[in-house]
Amino acid sequence: MKISDILENLEGVTVHVAPREGVEVTKGFTGDLLSFVMGSAPEGALWVTIQNHVNVAAVALLKEIPLVLLASGRSPSPELKDQCQREGIALATTDLDSFQACGRLHAMGVRN
Amino acid sequence: MIQREVKPLDFLSAGETASDFKETLKSLGIAPEICRKASIVTYEAEMNAVIHGGGGVIAMELSGDRITIVAKDEGPGIENVSLAMQEGYSTAPDFIREMGFGAGMGLPNIKKYSDELEIETEPGKGMTLRAVIYLRD
Ligand SMILES: Nc1ncnc2c1ncn2[C@@H]1O[C@H](COP(=O)(O)OP(=O)(O)OP(=O)(O)O)[C@@H](O)[C@H]1O
Ligand SMILES: [Mg+2]
Repeated sequence: MKISDILENLEGVTVHVAPREGVEVTKGFTGDLLSFVMGSAPEGALWVTIQNHVNVAAVALLKEIPLVLLASGRSPSPELKDQCQREGIALATTDLDSFQACGRLHAMGVRN
Repeated sequence: MIQREVKPLDFLSAGETASDFKETLKSLGIAPEICRKASIVTYEAEMNAVIHGGGGVIAMELSGDRITIVAKDEGPGIENVSLAMQEGYSTAPDFIREMGFGAGMGLPNIKKYSDELEIETEPGKGMTLRAVIYLRD
């Protein structure tokens, strides 16, 4: 599934860093504890989290996460946005909370 | 051998060592699964040096059949290593926990994703963590 399609179909989305053309994702993961995400997220999955500080980009980069979706309307810190831009990681906020966002994503066919 | 210094509570750069090491291993043609293990181990050791160790030096060496990752700091060290190795054990202060660190999973992750692990520490003097990842199982 194209990341751009996911972002279009989800409600209340603000895109901070647009996905690169045609990038796709099939898996998803959610978590706010960074070591948990580091140890358990499948590589290449999209990541739903309420953490909005710069180290999120470091974890995303290492786990080859192409999209970080900040839930519950959380805005990224300026450093997180910069870092995502630099590393080519798409970054968006949704007004949905993590549970609702994951529900929608699952219904779209994103799996773990 | 390559090595990098990490600074205390420098969250802006924290993680760069791990991605640097991962890129290096990838460019050397190391299998993705091994690169993945090495990057998790490096990231956790790096974050611990940044958060708990007062900064430190993280080194990686590739030789023969193994990758060795060594994290050395001169921070407070660990009083009770077997306790620190337990999942969920953390002394991280509240402001660190609010950032999503302090789950007490860093050392357990290192243990899980490495083939050999040694921690040498003297309370008040710092610690040296040495993790080995075999290139073949
Ligand atoms: N370099 C270090 N210097 C001093 N103490 C350390 C160091 N690394 C780990 N510790 C101690 O061991 C504990 C457990 O470490 P571990 O990495 O498992 O969890 P954490 O860092 O607290 O949380 P997480 O890694 O999940 O974000 C730490 O809370 C700290 O008390
Ligand atoms: Mg840790």
